[in-house]
Amino acid sequence: MDVTLKLRRYNPEVSDEVSWETFSVVQQPTDRVLDALHTIKWDQDGTLTFRRSCAHGVCGSDAMRINGRNRLACKTLLKDVNPGKPITVEPIQGLPVLKDLVVDMEPFFAAYKSVMPFLITDGNEPTRERVQSQKDRDRFDDTTKCILCAACTTSCPVYWADGQYFGPQAIVGAHRFIFDSRDEGTAQRLEILNDNEGVWRCRTTFNCTEACPRGIEVTKAIQEVKRALIFRR
Amino acid sequence: MEIEFHSYDVLIVGAGGAGMRAALESSSRARTAVLTKLYPTRSHTGAAQGGMCAALANVEDDNWEWHTFDTVKGGDYLVDQDAAEVMCKEAIDAVLDLEKMGLPFNRTPEGRIDQRRFGGHTRQHGEAPVRRSCFAADRTGHMILQTLYQQCVKQNVDFFNEFYVLDLLITAGRASGVVAYELATGRIHVFAGKAVVLATGGFGKVFRTTSNAHTLTGDGMGIVWRKGLPLEDMEFFQFHPTGLAGLGVLLSEAARGEGGILRNKDGERFMERYAPTIKDLAPRDMVARAMANEVREGRGCGPESAYVMLDLTHLPREQIDAKLPDITEFARTYLGVEPYDEPIPVFPTAHYAMGGVPTNIAGEALFNNQDVVPGLYAAGEVACVSVHGANRLGTNSLLDINVFGRRAGFNAAVYAQSAPKLDLPDDPAAFVIHLIESMRDGAGTERVAAIRGELQATMDLNAQVYRTEGSLKQALSDIDGLKTRYANVSVQDKGKRFNTDLLEAIELGFLIELAEVLVVSALARNESRGGHFREDYATRDDVNFMRHTMAYRQLADDGSVTIRLDYKPVVQTRYRPMERKY
Amino acid sequence: MATSTPVIQAPRNLASKSNFELYSWLFMRLSGVLLVFLVLAHLFVNLMLGDGIDGVDFAFVAGKWSSPFWQTWDLLMLWLAQLHGTNGLRTIINDYAERDGTRFWLKSLLYLASIVVIVLGTLVIFTFDPCIDPDSTLSVCQ
Repeated sequence: MDVTLKLRRYNPEVSDEVSWETFSVVQQPTDRVLDALHTIKWDQDGTLTFRRSCAHGVCGSDAMRINGRNRLACKTLLKDVNPGKPITVEPIQGLPVLKDLVVDMEPFFAAYKSVMPFLITDGNEPTRERVQSQKDRDRFDDTTKCILCAACTTSCPVYWADGQYFGPQAIVGAHRFIFDSRDEGTAQRLEILNDNEGVWRCRTTFNCTEACPRGIEVTKAIQEVKRALIFRR
Repeated sequence: MEIEFHSYDVLIVGAGGAGMRAALESSSRARTAVLTKLYPTRSHTGAAQGGMCAALANVEDDNWEWHTFDTVKGGDYLVDQDAAEVMCKEAIDAVLDLEKMGLPFNRTPEGRIDQRRFGGHTRQHGEAPVRRSCFAADRTGHMILQTLYQQCVKQNVDFFNEFYVLDLLITAGRASGVVAYELATGRIHVFAGKAVVLATGGFGKVFRTTSNAHTLTGDGMGIVWRKGLPLEDMEFFQFHPTGLAGLGVLLSEAARGEGGILRNKDGERFMERYAPTIKDLAPRDMVARAMANEVREGRGCGPESAYVMLDLTHLPREQIDAKLPDITEFARTYLGVEPYDEPIPVFPTAHYAMGGVPTNIAGEALFNNQDVVPGLYAAGEVACVSVHGANRLGTNSLLDINVFGRRAGFNAAVYAQSAPKLDLPDDPAAFVIHLIESMRDGAGTERVAAIRGELQATMDLNAQVYRTEGSLKQALSDIDGLKTRYANVSVQDKGKRFNTDLLEAIELGFLIELAEVLVVSALARNESRGGHFREDYATRDDVNFMRHTMAYRQLADDGSVTIRLDYKPVVQTRYRPMERKY
Repeated sequence: MATSTPVIQAPRNLASKSNFELYSWLFMRLSGVLLVFLVLAHLFVNLMLGDGIDGVDFAFVAGKWSSPFWQTWDLLMLWLAQLHGTNGLRTIINDYAERDGTRFWLKSLLYLASIVVIVLGTLVIFTFDPCIDPDSTLSVCQ
């Protein structure tokens, strides 16, 4: 199958201008978009730059905007993105582009780190494991699936306009602990997310939920944090 | 070329499970930097699925001694038994530690950590399968990676993300630092440190069909190799039975632990013939060979009879959804197969390097059969302790990274607290600068992808589940040709910023060298043991080969490189070798 | 792992430690629900009861505002609608205006307009004189 990809190119070492370049490759319909990008890089233009690692949707390296939607290139099959027409691939939005499809992830990770994304406990530790019912464990299962790929945060229009907003991922990261029955740092985390740039900036556009390659109900998680702020403090 | 200098006590190379577990121990005791080619959460620990075994006895009678026996037997008696004892004994605390760090394990009705069956794990020395694997659905590795990263965030660990370490510095026989290439800028960084912990993972990309990430190119092993330090048991590579056919994407053994069955084209549960007692839950090498054999003898499925089927259709949907959500999604996404209703096409996929940088149970790297390189540590897949022997049991890799990652990190920090600060060698970055500049600015004509493709093809064809002297010699001569072509490799991207073209070219260099070590080690092992199966020597030979292979890079005066093989005795404590039957 | 007090990274510009955003978010929802009721009832009374739209004239308004009940009703509607709209526009400005300067000026304009309308509206409701026309024939002016 002949596929055309239209890629957004940017390399400040060569030019400050962004350009669009079109490549034609032969792929199977069941190949991933990542396979097509590899074909281009390996056979046509070695300067094409993107991140990737596991190639099956668990490492979160290759979030990019494919035909206007944030997806993982390794989890998107060509046959599912209308390969009859040129497929556009661009970097995820809202983070500074460094080169081609590679963006600066530091602001994203800074937001994640600022919600204290780790278990907080006090008192003496038990000798064995902490006891937690399967029901309590299931309560936060959805948000444990997050792979920090940034597809949600960079699909959020509020984040595009205002990089100070924590973004959906950071709220997901906090949600995972706020609803963990073992955690005792809920008050601190809720206080952080009560900020001007916290959960209240969410406009429930559901872009994040749609973008999540792990199927996390991101918007729902954000709403649950809002509810916790109103009723649990 | 611009060089930046940094100074720390402990340098950890790699930020997967082993690297981050080491960092947690080390950063609270000594100034620690973690250098990683990828953002930590991109590491391939996150792709591990099924679980982490520990004899918690939460659901069934169990103890660590049975676990040790299973590990030794699973490794076809090539396991160093003192190391296996350490691992299985410390497994219990390793799991409990992770739980205390917040890892969301699945729970029993009483709220304890739930456990399930896994290949090769038995009670009473092989009597019946036992529920030993602690798990979080089929994303245990993901949870471990995330939990360790969360703890690193909590401890404020210093990460140098997307720093590609390319050389190890040694001063007067002791580790004294590393040299790294910063991907974002192309700058060279020299890190001085009293101790270096290698935790760079495996080199599965020498094979084409592999569950390994694109980035698993054996960098750590390659660096050590180029320093003239030995690599142990490199011929032992594990092929995971259930990779998605054609793609190699891993489907956890947990699928069989939960009751999944392998079938050939006649619908026969063929593992009953190969391992009558534990059937589909036999160790991976046996299952992989059985599958390859079914296909070879014409009982494969599909239009080209190229694979067998993993059947989950008899399992309740709720069980599949609760315990195996990710792997069923892989089947749906990549093969369009609905595991509720249809069996999944699977075939063995290159998965795990049992061999690597030889270490003792303290995680210290060896430079011969018994002496250590002071200050150099290794943990995880890059290392060979050897707890996996000739074949790793499922779940024991997640255990390995936690137990020996912790040991390496702790010991490195303790060592660094008392070790003297060493001077760096003269012009420490010279080797790396030369490597990069000659490759980037060279006028080669060979494409990286073409050479890599041919390397992977010959390895898949000649050095996979079944090997013979002839096939291995073929692989060796192919690799020889590829080495020559690699000398003339071209890099199209001449820039400094995020030059992944250059990165792939350098990685390929490591892959070629490690493939050669693998093949040379395999050629010399005229027996079949664990993951190494020689059709021309189909049985295990304890008289001649109950010993670890130690490979050394030998640099002759004329600049030519040869591989010298030596051997190291296996440590045996309680278990005498027996025939391996399941 | 020993239990320890976590190192709390200074969160990004934690400018306010107030609950302002929380209350404003809650206010939007509550005022919205109230407004639905107030506005629909208002429309029903004005447009459907009696002569419907044909009955709405100066006299009709004068009649309504002579009752404290309708005065309160309309006052509530005015304040809630105005604050609801202003707050909505404030968030839209926050979302879409990217430069701090633009934000500042747009919001200043918004708040000014809002204050003018609220003050004016409140004034009208309370100082409304049904007999402003000396020739009025309305019963209250007799």
